[in-house]
Amino acid sequence: MSDEAKVGIVLVSHSAALAEGTAELAGQIGGGTVAIATAGGTDDGRIGTSIAKVQRALALADAGAGVVILPDLGSSVLTVRALLAESEDLPEPIAVADAPFVEGAVAATVTAAAGGDVKAVLSAAEEARHARKL
Amino acid sequence: MPESCEVTVTVTLAGDLHARPAGSLAVAAAAFESAVELTVGASRADARSVLAVMGLGATSGQQVTVRAAGPDAEKAVNTMIDILAEATRVGG
Repeated sequence: MSDEAKVGIVLVSHSAALAEGTAELAGQIGGGTVAIATAGGTDDGRIGTSIAKVQRALALADAGAGVVILPDLGSSVLTVRALLAESEDLPEPIAVADAPFVEGAVAATVTAAAGGDVKAVLSAAEEARHARKL
Repeated sequence: MPESCEVTVTVTLAGDLHARPAGSLAVAAAAFESAVELTVGASRADARSVLAVMGLGATSGQQVTVRAAGPDAEKAVNTMIDILAEATRVGG
């Protein structure tokens, strides 16, 4: 299991700091064996999202086992959807998680670290919506 | 080893169960065929779910019961106990 390529994670946020901080946290909890790439902020460093950044992050995260994308809010989802609709050069398989950003990123990363496939990683991220923290 | 068995061990935590060890437990638990469950007081968590393990809120001095059922239950429980012992000693 551990010899095979692992599913990569792409974190898409309006804020570069939020995306990078979440990647750092998820990477630490997941043991550092999963490729987590970020697409945070606009191309000129403002709050917003960037198709070009998401495209670059997908290429960085793809180790051959596919990629799960976690968008934070609103137009992050629209940007990801626009890219998936227009790009022909995408990792395969690819999935977008409807999940809370921090919890979803942590759960997805741990499941990817354990050797889960895209379907398992996606489920772990989406189940995070039901996890109680208290 | 029988084809399938159930093993339960209870340990007392030497320190709080932090986020990183919760991740280590979840990654390790996924490598076993057996279902692995952690219980602290009235709360139960599937050891494969890092968020559920963190949600246990297990702290120093509390008892954690590790229960595994399946063909590799004994190895699974021993692995969980080792991670719990190591992680709560070092801290997370």
